[in-house]
Amino acid sequence: MSNKLMAWIDERLPVSNFVKNHLSQYYAPKNFNFFYYFGALAIFIFVLQIVTGIFLTINYKPDAAQAFASVEYIMRDVEWGWLIRYMHSTGASFFFVVIYLHMFRAMLYGSYKNPRELLWLFGMLIFVLLMAEAFMGYLLPWGQMSYWGAQVIISLFGAIPYVGESLALWIRGDFVISDATLNRFFAFHVIALPLLLFALIYLHLAALHTNGSNNPDGIEIKKNKDENGIPRDGIPFHPYYTVKDIFGLSVFLLIFAFVLFFMPELGGYFLEKDNFVPANPLKTPEHIVPVWYFTPFYAILRAIPDKVGGVLAMGAAIFVLFILPWIDRCSVKSIRYRGMSYKVLLTLFVISFFGLGYIGMNPATPVLTWIGRLFTLIYFGFFVALYFTSANEKTKEVPDRVTMHD
Amino acid sequence: MSDSNKPSNRRKFLTNLTQIMGGVGGIFAVIPFLSSMSPSEKAKAAGAPIEIDVSALRPGSYKVVEWRGKPVWVVRRTEEMVKNTLEDDNVLSDPKSLEEHQPIYTQNKYRSINPEFLVLVGVCTHLGCSPLYKPNAKSAELGLDWNGGFFCPCHGSKFDLSGRVHKSMPAPSNLEVPPYYFASDNKIIVGEDGEKS
Amino acid sequence: MIRLFTGIAFILISSLSFAASGSIPLKPVLIDLNNKSSLQRGAQIYVNNCLGCHTLKYQRYVKFIDHLSLSKETIENNLIFTTGKNGEPTKIGSLILNSVNPDSAKEAFGVMPPDLTLIARSRGSEWLYTFLTSFYKDETRPLGVNNALYANVGMPHVLSWMEGLKTPVNLEKDQYEYVVKGAMTDKEYKKSITDLVNFLAYVSEPAQLDRYRIGFWVILFLSIFSFIAFLLKIEYWKDVK
Repeated sequence: MSNKLMAWIDERLPVSNFVKNHLSQYYAPKNFNFFYYFGALAIFIFVLQIVTGIFLTINYKPDAAQAFASVEYIMRDVEWGWLIRYMHSTGASFFFVVIYLHMFRAMLYGSYKNPRELLWLFGMLIFVLLMAEAFMGYLLPWGQMSYWGAQVIISLFGAIPYVGESLALWIRGDFVISDATLNRFFAFHVIALPLLLFALIYLHLAALHTNGSNNPDGIEIKKNKDENGIPRDGIPFHPYYTVKDIFGLSVFLLIFAFVLFFMPELGGYFLEKDNFVPANPLKTPEHIVPVWYFTPFYAILRAIPDKVGGVLAMGAAIFVLFILPWIDRCSVKSIRYRGMSYKVLLTLFVISFFGLGYIGMNPATPVLTWIGRLFTLIYFGFFVALYFTSANEKTKEVPDRVTMHD
Repeated sequence: MSDSNKPSNRRKFLTNLTQIMGGVGGIFAVIPFLSSMSPSEKAKAAGAPIEIDVSALRPGSYKVVEWRGKPVWVVRRTEEMVKNTLEDDNVLSDPKSLEEHQPIYTQNKYRSINPEFLVLVGVCTHLGCSPLYKPNAKSAELGLDWNGGFFCPCHGSKFDLSGRVHKSMPAPSNLEVPPYYFASDNKIIVGEDGEKS
Repeated sequence: MIRLFTGIAFILISSLSFAASGSIPLKPVLIDLNNKSSLQRGAQIYVNNCLGCHTLKYQRYVKFIDHLSLSKETIENNLIFTTGKNGEPTKIGSLILNSVNPDSAKEAFGVMPPDLTLIARSRGSEWLYTFLTSFYKDETRPLGVNNALYANVGMPHVLSWMEGLKTPVNLEKDQYEYVVKGAMTDKEYKKSITDLVNFLAYVSEPAQLDRYRIGFWVILFLSIFSFIAFLLKIEYWKDVK
């Protein structure tokens, strides 16, 4: 019965083939480690954000006079509204946790290298759009931090020579952040950017499945196939990686649920205290702090004592990641077989990223500003040094077959 | 599990268990989303019971009040009107008021708690028009056999002086009676059954 | 069924707040949302002393039935003092508003008294407790009082009938002596303020009553599920050599 139905469908839409090509006979390297959970988790969170987002729009009002109250309405008067809202707010932060780890994985194992440069570019586009999505979403609750955070970020565009001021005005649609701004951010947040993200995620996955996944050894498993044409180091994605990802997802959900139910504000990092005060254009909060996931870039902005320079530095900090596949000229992918220079550089890079994140969260004291400058130097220094050291790096010999560690 | 060797029992058991637990978890996860679409506290507050003061209502006249966005009629019937509202099996399609939306305490001869006061939701059960109040018998418009009642101008449904629908009318059932009770002789609470409070 | 499990007590010592505006250190306060009688007393103090100026405009009275274990009649008779436009008593489903005219309030206090529904989330419970116990007599101020935490506050000491009035012996060390006696002892007053802050902590996020309880079961379920998923993964991965 079900076979007949399946055959009927397959004649019209090759569903079985699709499942074969992308799941049951899609061969993934068998040596994935911890860092390989985050791609699947990112997709899960994307879906979670879409679903919870839809249910929030059912009760949210994109109107400066009603937005703040409608969020509290969701938190109190809508059945289970608090749960849906916390899923969405916690989900936003976890999205960035997962994406940062996903990107770090690529840097550890050289996943952006030939032949996966386009995969990396799509990923970077997703990252940039995700930042825009998060930024616009953060305005919607219309609290003090929503308002003043948006004020600061939109003012950045004003730094662009000649067109800056009129560009900022055009983005706001008003002389200040106002109802007009809220309304358009709502439109972008709930439909325009999610659609673009969806398309880019599709392209990201299509590019991934063209060459297959990289792995912690950085070995192309398709170069070593058995007599049936199956990679010797590959295993079918389904069932092996589906069961593994189910386990990964359940542990992720455990952590997610813990934060959601027991500390949804996460001490002010996920939901800032000042955002429980309605937006007031006449009163700036004492410290305007962006949400934690923007703080490394915000710290770079503040490190440069010049408005245009700061904005350029922040833009460059993101742009330089786009061209990473061409900066890193080492032919060995995985850090396991790369030279000491890369290990040292990457460690410094990670330290500077965390350091910048910390500095971006705190008020700008003279000491912190100087440390911020040092970390900014290290951040960019990583890419410069990598360009020069990677061409002649002293690498180890890469084995023919992948190695299993756990 | 498309392996050549047969899956072990342990493997089958664990697969089933994971699927069942995942399914149960999934169902629990869906509940909040579905229930978030039911009326909120705000909607419930707006749809809360209302109080109608009928002390100023003259016999034969009626009053319209809004409850949950619908007109609710309170008719103070005269003795003659009460007499005219006899349950007639030949004319009425549901004389005993047995169908839905008619509280038990109004399933009686006069479809009311107190025969003097008739409380109805003033929305035709056909397509939602609001019927007109035509209390006088034998009108030129509605014929000599008209005993007084309600007439829907949209599609011509006729109801008697207790809101019972005549036979062979577009409207399928009697006019709805909302839950109500008398808080005192002149105070009607609409939207709540009496025994609850 | 679920009601059974509310017995599981989650006593929360409110997290360290990093509001650094005040001149004196914040005092700790024990928040316990399962202490219904404390919440009830807090609600009573609030409607009698605070609601005149400060609304709770995102909260509805009707929630107190479930959350504060109060009957509809108790709420209508003891907590609802406001009336509608035509003098009819405010309905239980209504938001907790007052009838202050914003203009006259601005004239009297210089600012519109803020809504306090979310004050415990934006300021923190410890801030509220410290603020409410730090009023002291200061004739130089227009209202005759000042506050050690919030200098030159524009609010009168509304609760002085309870606390009395104190003058500072040493502000930094939180030492005072009473110059006017109130209806309560120092200890009783602090307990009342704890109740009031407890109530405000509840009002700021009523979902707390649900989320700890539900969170416990979700975590339990997910722990078991993770364990099963782990066994399943191990079982399948036996194949992979």
